Amino acid sequence: MKATMQTTQTLSAVSPPRARNISFAWLGVVPFFIFAILFLILPSATLLIGSVQDRQGNLTLGNFAGMFQGVTLKFVAAPSEASLLGVTFPLPFTVDFQSNSIVSAYILSMQVGIITALTGGIFGFLLAYAAVLGGLPKFVRSALLTFSGVASYFSGVPLAFAFVATLGRLGFITVLLRNYFDFDLYMTGFSVISLLGLILTYTYFQFPLMVLVITPALDGLKREWREASENLGASGAEYWRYVAFPIILPSLLGTMILLFGNSFGAVATAYALTGGNFQLATILIFRQIRGEVLQDPGLGYAVAVGMIIVMALSLALYYWLQRRSERWLRR
Amino acid sequence: MAFLELTNVSKVFGQTAAVQDFNLNVERGEFVSFLGPSGCGKTTTLRMIAGFELPTTGTVIINGNDVTFKPPQKRNTGMVFQAYALFPNMNVAENIGFGLKIARKPKDEIKKRVEEVLAIIKMDSFGNRYPYQLSGGQQQRVALARALAIQPQVLLLDEPLSALDAKIRVSLRQEIRAIQQKLGITTVYVTHDQEEALSLSDRVVVMNNAKIEQVGTPFEIYNFPNTEFTAQFVGTLNHISATVRDVANGVLAIDSQQVVTAQKLEGVSNGTAVTVSIRPERISFAEDGRKPNVLNIKVENITFLGSIVRVQVRAGDNLFLMDTFNNPFLKLPEIGDTVEITFSKEAVLVLKNGS
Repeated sequence: MKATMQTTQTLSAVSPPRARNISFAWLGVVPFFIFAILFLILPSATLLIGSVQDRQGNLTLGNFAGMFQGVTLKFVAAPSEASLLGVTFPLPFTVDFQSNSIVSAYILSMQVGIITALTGGIFGFLLAYAAVLGGLPKFVRSALLTFSGVASYFSGVPLAFAFVATLGRLGFITVLLRNYFDFDLYMTGFSVISLLGLILTYTYFQFPLMVLVITPALDGLKREWREASENLGASGAEYWRYVAFPIILPSLLGTMILLFGNSFGAVATAYALTGGNFQLATILIFRQIRGEVLQDPGLGYAVAVGMIIVMALSLALYYWLQRRSERWLRR
Repeated sequence: MAFLELTNVSKVFGQTAAVQDFNLNVERGEFVSFLGPSGCGKTTTLRMIAGFELPTTGTVIINGNDVTFKPPQKRNTGMVFQAYALFPNMNVAENIGFGLKIARKPKDEIKKRVEEVLAIIKMDSFGNRYPYQLSGGQQQRVALARALAIQPQVLLLDEPLSALDAKIRVSLRQEIRAIQQKLGITTVYVTHDQEEALSLSDRVVVMNNAKIEQVGTPFEIYNFPNTEFTAQFVGTLNHISATVRDVANGVLAIDSQQVVTAQKLEGVSNGTAVTVSIRPERISFAEDGRKPNVLNIKVENITFLGSIVRVQVRAGDNLFLMDTFNNPFLKLPEIGDTVEITFSKEAVLVLKNGS
């Protein structure tokens, strides 16, 4: 024991202090860090600080309290009806909900987010399924993926203009249907600058994103799993019910959450399409911070922080679901 | 009537014949291996038995029932895949019980059967684990248990050990054989590993280029190969150029040195150039005892392979190998030495060329 200690002491006495080697590889990521600081960390910090300051720069939680001013929610045990996108359905209870403009904006954003995540998600999944597992020719898959790669980034003012030019009152499809098929789309109550129009427009960039994200998950379904289940007596439906669907469910849910976040955070498309007719949370923030009538930057920052929290929760859930499916597919 | 019958089975993919005129009868409880190189059609044949591929021609009969055009679900075969194919979303017990659940068996019966097969594969305490928590060997044992749980008529194994490391491969193959013998289940095993096929099987089907080369017991396949391919593919084989000296007495000349074969020479005449084959382990140094054939050779190289020492020797233009068992008292010549080697008449095979 003594000998060992002596040896150790001798070695440490003789060894020169080790210089820390800094790898030049770090230089390569410097632009990324600069970019992240300028466009992510600094704006987020400004939002956070602004959300807890009043107009004079004093610390306050009043901005967050202001978000919920006048909001009440009560459940009464009496049957009632609710309506969503023109569809009325019965409820076993009555909701007595008094909202304000901010909470209404959140609710509308979430509604648009959920509906477009579902429509884009289901449509995108069916497309990806047809291309990957449907036995279609290979060129269909590459064409779909190329289109999806482009379409998933097609948003904002150009997308809004494209939809007005296609489905607006004098849009190409509207006129085509009216002139050649004697069908007036706008007589059905449809309008591209309605909530339905907004959802349709959002779906245009939502479903390609679903195709892009879910395709690898469908590729990950091994042929042997289907064969093993068939060998054990399972039909195609049973294979999907017990094996394939549970395996891709985390990816499916995760991608839908991603789609929700994608829609929840969008502003330019909605603003350009509806001219601000719909009070989405993002449009509200825009008005509170930059608007001339409603300007209250502190409140706008607080609403933005609320959105960041919703997005962060969505991404955390997405990350957790992805980890779960990756763990399954590791071997 | 055999338990599993494949009659004139062929499979064509586009312009390529994957399996041609395959005929085989497997008895109840027999363990048969399909052995051959990649692309020889062994897996395709297995998949036709399982029902994943339909034969282009021919019939597949299991236990007297023609299943040629029946879907996999209706054949009651248990398949073990090379890559395990365990369902990653289910734990071990759920994987094993899957087939019984699909068959709408009562929960108690499923639980009991799962426990039984877990005991058979000696993984009683692993029921709650997920596939990603198991090693490759454990996953393959679970895959075997899953196939056995449904009590299949025929067990089909498609290179089940090829993804495992050497040590586990050996122990698991012994386990597979022991389970097969215990349950008496008719088994078809696909492999490209000759050692696996020879050690496990009652009979081996050697395949090459979509056709059967030879069917026989491991002993027959190794010691009496019918074709050059079988002789080459199973074990190591020396090819030595020789000339026929005396057809009637089976006398040949290797580098002007005379050797005799026990084989009856047919279709050749005196002076014909032939290729003779001798397995390395049939050759020994002449000081161990002289056999009918003795050759003077030059030692070119010596390689130590653990239990075996492989010596590369030269006789004229012929370079070939001889294997001798290692022991601590083994006396080996030096590289460059000229020594005598010897082998029996029966060791000298004149194979059918081009078959």
